Amino acid sequence: MAGVFALISLVIDTATDRTSVALFHRNELLFEGYHDGATAHAEALPKLVSDALAVEKSINQVVVGMGPGPFTGLRVGIVFAQSFAQARNIAWRGVCSLDGFDIDADEYIVTSDARRKEVYWAKYSKGERRFGPQVSAPDYVAELPEKKFGFGFGPTIYPSMAMLLAKSQSRSVTQPIYLRRPDAVPTSERK
Amino acid sequence: MSEPLVLGIETSCDETAVGIVKGRKLLANVIASSVEEHARFGGVVPEVASRAHLEAMPSTIQQALEISGIKLKDVDAISVTAGPGLVGALLVGVSAANGLAVALDKPLYGVNHLASHVAVDLLTHDEKMRPTIALLVSGGHSSILQVSDITSDIKSLGQTIDDAAGEAFDKIARLLQLGFPGGPLIDKESKTGKVDAINFPRGLTNPKDLAEHEFDFSFSGLKTAVSRYLQATPEFVRADVAASFQEAIVDVLLQKSVKACQQTGIDSLVIAGGVAANSRLRAVAQERCAKAGIQLRTPPPALCTDNGAMVATLGSLAISAGRPASRLGIEAASAISPSIPIWA
Repeated sequence: MAGVFALISLVIDTATDRTSVALFHRNELLFEGYHDGATAHAEALPKLVSDALAVEKSINQVVVGMGPGPFTGLRVGIVFAQSFAQARNIAWRGVCSLDGFDIDADEYIVTSDARRKEVYWAKYSKGERRFGPQVSAPDYVAELPEKKFGFGFGPTIYPSMAMLLAKSQSRSVTQPIYLRRPDAVPTSERK
Repeated sequence: MSEPLVLGIETSCDETAVGIVKGRKLLANVIASSVEEHARFGGVVPEVASRAHLEAMPSTIQQALEISGIKLKDVDAISVTAGPGLVGALLVGVSAANGLAVALDKPLYGVNHLASHVAVDLLTHDEKMRPTIALLVSGGHSSILQVSDITSDIKSLGQTIDDAAGEAFDKIARLLQLGFPGGPLIDKESKTGKVDAINFPRGLTNPKDLAEHEFDFSFSGLKTAVSRYLQATPEFVRADVAASFQEAIVDVLLQKSVKACQQTGIDSLVIAGGVAANSRLRAVAQERCAKAGIQLRTPPPALCTDNGAMVATLGSLAISAGRPASRLGIEAASAISPSIPIWA
């Protein structure tokens, strides 16, 4: 893996049903833990990070998946990461959660569950994101020529913590990736 | 710990708020509101509020630290509103608080939003805590509480069975084409109106309703009555409608609050929540409490609307009272009784 890694990185992702936490010394894994549950992020994350801190207390940076993902869970990870970094006075880096899918292929598309019968997806070439992230109906994605991996097209996959850490060095994301507007309609546009 | 230094976070509705207190002394109270974003929707949109909380959180914390002149590593505990409120919005605050507490290795207190509205009164004076009745009125809540001990013994005597008082203000303001949020706009419009111009109904005050709902409120009938009046009276005087509607709400809120004091033998009333900023409510409360021999407390408007200082205050009181901290990974609860002031 290329890039200059901070000494100790805490990596967090809550963009899927899985709450994932890992701790790295440069690129060497010191701790990894996860908890599955679509509404369990807020409860699981503090416990997982506490477990990580039991392995190593001193953290130099926080890396966090910025989505796309179901909004409520996604925000849990982002705001926790930001506040943790603020309290420790260290840097945090955001990364597109789909970039963390570790796929062994040349040209491919990864997908995750966007609920409402849609998928989040992005197109990759040799590990680099070339298009997306987007949110679409699975039928639309199915028409695309590339091989698909992930929700709706095969077994559900989750971001690799090592990949998120690696990608955070090159493509930093500063805003949550929602891809959908809130459902509400302004009074002026109501019929 | 006699004077704990506590940072409190509040995100139960549309205000991202951070407060810092030392014991019962206020050091900072910073509020970032997304109310303008909600105005174009005519009410608070949960997803819009949650997004705004995430965006505002780091800078709101930073600002509170700068104003108070303290560093995060100096705080004794983190306190956060864990409910009731909009669950997606609550989770932003709860997760921010967890991030701080875990990073700092400091205890976390998940506190009840309603209880903290009452607790904030203790920032405004040095008197010893004593039992009080609390009238909590806001956009999301209308409750009468019997507060025997703010950190451990709160009983709900009554609450709204339909709309909250603040919601009724919003809806009538919309009917009167005054805008959003309705409370301050109706308050202002009412200044030039007659409070007795129209005799709007006082919900749940007739003997039959009182038997079942002695300290409960209902504002939906009032809302319908105003709406019907406006349809039937094309030449209506807006200020009179606003003033008479406001009077109906104020009258019911205070009738029941004073009665709760008399019935429980508690001679203290705290009025809190966003609607407590209403000038007519404050004026009539003063009159009626004076007449009934009840000591009235109305915290200043900045401490009545949702704020972080009230959350920090309840956390601080919990520590002083020796209450245990909440467990790691507390849940946010959209609906929770005020009888649980501090999360286990």
